[in-house]
Amino acid sequence: MNKNLNPFERLIVYIDGSESSIRAAKLAIAMANAFGSRLRVLYVVNENLLNELLKARVFVQVEKMDYERDLEEDGKRYLGYVEKLAESKGVDVETSLRKGIVHEEVSCEVDEWQCDLLIQGELGEVLSLRDSFYEEGERILRKVKCPVMVVKGQGKINKLFEEL
Amino acid sequence: MRLADYITSDHIKIGLEGRNKDEVIEELVELCSEVCDVSDPDAVLQAVLNRERDGSTGLEKGVAIPHAKSDAVGTLSIVVGISREGIDFEAQDGKPSHLFFLLVAPTSESGPHVQAIAKIVKLIKIDNFREQMINAQTPEDVVKVINSAENGEEE
Repeated sequence: MNKNLNPFERLIVYIDGSESSIRAAKLAIAMANAFGSRLRVLYVVNENLLNELLKARVFVQVEKMDYERDLEEDGKRYLGYVEKLAESKGVDVETSLRKGIVHEEVSCEVDEWQCDLLIQGELGEVLSLRDSFYEEGERILRKVKCPVMVVKGQGKINKLFEEL
Repeated sequence: MRLADYITSDHIKIGLEGRNKDEVIEELVELCSEVCDVSDPDAVLQAVLNRERDGSTGLEKGVAIPHAKSDAVGTLSIVVGISREGIDFEAQDGKPSHLFFLLVAPTSESGPHVQAIAKIVKLIKIDNFREQMINAQTPEDVVKVINSAENGEEE
């Protein structure tokens, strides 16, 4: 048995700004600390959703572009927040902000960076079985080619992070 | 994102009194100002009317989603209005609108704002949901319909 083998050299945590994804980031930071992993934090501006709302004529073009800028700013803010969380525990992180179809962009990032493990928050709610095929968290699970960890639960992770 | 976290029974008005688009928007903004964290109702009204001038938010099948960004609200604010008679809201299909969701969010909450609109668009595609909403007798019934739909009990 090779004791020097590190199965988690490169971790990516995908965040969407939800509390659940921030908890996933906390666990990712704890794992990076424990395994000496490189950690990348990823946010994707859901351009596809904005395009769908434009197509449904809920948004007008100028408004869609405006929201896209807002979401990009949100993404930078969330990435900065996780960066600070990691810094507070002495863990270095890299950040990445992409735009497009969420599950495809996550998959590209995983491939390009040769990620060993993708970490994400709880899967979103679905209104029906059919709906589950369109939920981004589920689509990420199906699309990426590396192991995926879905982080559930609350108290234990926050406690673990505080004690880190 | 759960709409039920933002829409309680006091956020719902059944039997809108407005007779045209501007009056309905005024009525919804008034309700929003009463039940949500709104510092300047006139600014909210202006923001919604300005957005409406860029293109009507009257969709198909009797539903309209007037919305705007405004820092005159403290957080994402949603109210629902129902008109049995229907209002000419310059809808895409030219038919009267019966079900109205007004959403206003501060500029710092664009993420939840977009998610809420997307959720509503997803729900109103369900025939049963639309019909139950439009025919609801009380605000409490509306809340129940939204809760059931979000729990996946529709379709």
